[in-house]
Amino acid sequence: MIHSTVKDKFISYILVLPALLFVTVFLLYPMLDNVFISFFKSSGLGKPEFIGVKNYIRAFQDSNFILSFSNTLIWVIFTLAVPVIGSLLIAVFLKNLKGGTFYKSIFFLPLTLSFVSTGIIWMNVFSSNNGVLNTILSLLSGGEKVKISWLASVPLNTVSMLVAWTWQQLGTSMVLFLMGLTTIPNDPIEASIIDGANKWQTFIHVTFPMLKPITTVVITQALVNSFKTFDLIYVITRGGPYRSSETLAVTMYRETFTMFNIGYGSAISVILSAIIIMITGKYIKNQMTRDLLHY
Amino acid sequence: MKNKASILIHSLLIFLVILWLMPVYSSLIAAFKGLDEFALTPFYSIPQKFVFFQNVRDTYSEYRLHYHLFSSAIYAGAGSLLAIVFSSMAAYSLIRLKPKFNFLLFIIIYSGTIFPFQMYLIPLHKMFNALDLYNTRSGMILIYTAITIPFSLFVYRGFFTTIPKSIEDAAIIDGCGPISVFVKIFIPQAAAPTAVVALFQMSWIWNDLLFGLVLSRSEYVRPIMVGMAAMSGIGGGSRVYQMTGVLTTSIPTILLFIILKKYFISGMSSVASMK
Repeated sequence: MIHSTVKDKFISYILVLPALLFVTVFLLYPMLDNVFISFFKSSGLGKPEFIGVKNYIRAFQDSNFILSFSNTLIWVIFTLAVPVIGSLLIAVFLKNLKGGTFYKSIFFLPLTLSFVSTGIIWMNVFSSNNGVLNTILSLLSGGEKVKISWLASVPLNTVSMLVAWTWQQLGTSMVLFLMGLTTIPNDPIEASIIDGANKWQTFIHVTFPMLKPITTVVITQALVNSFKTFDLIYVITRGGPYRSSETLAVTMYRETFTMFNIGYGSAISVILSAIIIMITGKYIKNQMTRDLLHY
Repeated sequence: MKNKASILIHSLLIFLVILWLMPVYSSLIAAFKGLDEFALTPFYSIPQKFVFFQNVRDTYSEYRLHYHLFSSAIYAGAGSLLAIVFSSMAAYSLIRLKPKFNFLLFIIIYSGTIFPFQMYLIPLHKMFNALDLYNTRSGMILIYTAITIPFSLFVYRGFFTTIPKSIEDAAIIDGCGPISVFVKIFIPQAAAPTAVVALFQMSWIWNDLLFGLVLSRSEYVRPIMVGMAAMSGIGGGSRVYQMTGVLTTSIPTILLFIILKKYFISGMSSVASMK
């Protein structure tokens, strides 16, 4: 700015105002209100009653919450173990492979689909009645009809949904790893091969350490996404049978919008948010310090 | 030794490709079978008659997916359009005009990406009921706009910092005010970030389940994924209908990806740098 007149200053605020209003009214204010609501007992009807931190205490005594919490941890650990590590290995392998684009486009395909569509597609695979997987198992077992109820028994239902999840999520992590791989120079990798290291040693000692920045991004993103899992479970099992496959996001929805334990539901969402902020906090801080340097 | 390993890896890859394509194949083929045929034949059998259009007609008349499709098209279009307009304006101001507290303003808007959506649901439901926005299309557009603004602002902000200052300095000397600099210099160059924002936000809105579930009730307002989710679960539709639904309602996002494919990677890098 060469001249910064009063009018220009005014314009600078006017341009920010709509975005600011939208975020404050529909996101920031609700967020604060949500924390407030979590200290009340409320069923949506009548006057909410202030009960302090009782909703939070209730959570840790509620067997449904504890089961949901441990299910969420299963989702998180599985996500780190299978889609994250799997996509890293596939990305490293596909990077220099002839015809790699073909494979890449296959793994990217589910990215264009919603979780709802993914859920419906995989229900057809796991269905106990004429489902794809049971049909294949019947063929392999030689004519004997296999009737496994993949989605109705514990813990098979969670495992089945995790397979669907991997199918949908692998592509996202893979894109990020492939992006990371293009930024690392080839020289150190060639040098280590000349020094006699095999492919595996090169990967562990050279490639992987250089991928560290993108790996933290992928892990953070995968952690956050798996903690927030809702759509897939809602579509496939609705958290059932008997609330056995719920995760925190599903429990929060059920407690609030089908059982009308509104204060309790908001306490669960606050717990979920606290966990997510703990995971992302460091990256947000780094992001902000990086940004501050720009200013 | 080297060959054995490579054969192993290749067979593993081919196995994965089959695993990845099998669900797609089985759903595609289900959408082309009649109801009885689907129940009586194994999933891999080739359809005997061509009944796809009959299935589409039946699915849509029974589950009224066209109402949901229409609503979602409005939400995806209007929500992203508003987000594009408001966030590009805000990004330009924060980067170039630098109002007082511009960093604080950025942090406030950016904070919209930090919390899981569960954090907003209960108060939004309450607020929408109080303001008569519950179960209205305008209410849905408002929340979709709000939720897509932070990411859009982030993309535009990153892009606008790369536009050289010399051009606008010349324009300012020629007497252009901040608005005409934005309209004449920034907007014409902003095709790339706009494509990224359009691709990611339109497909995000199209694929949303949660806000639709919580903030709307009727078949005229509920977005498409809520309509689809109602077909699953107990009392849901036949799998032939479900697959017909999946196939037809995925076309818009698949097309969007094909058209804007080259912006996908730059969008993903924005996603990455946000975390």
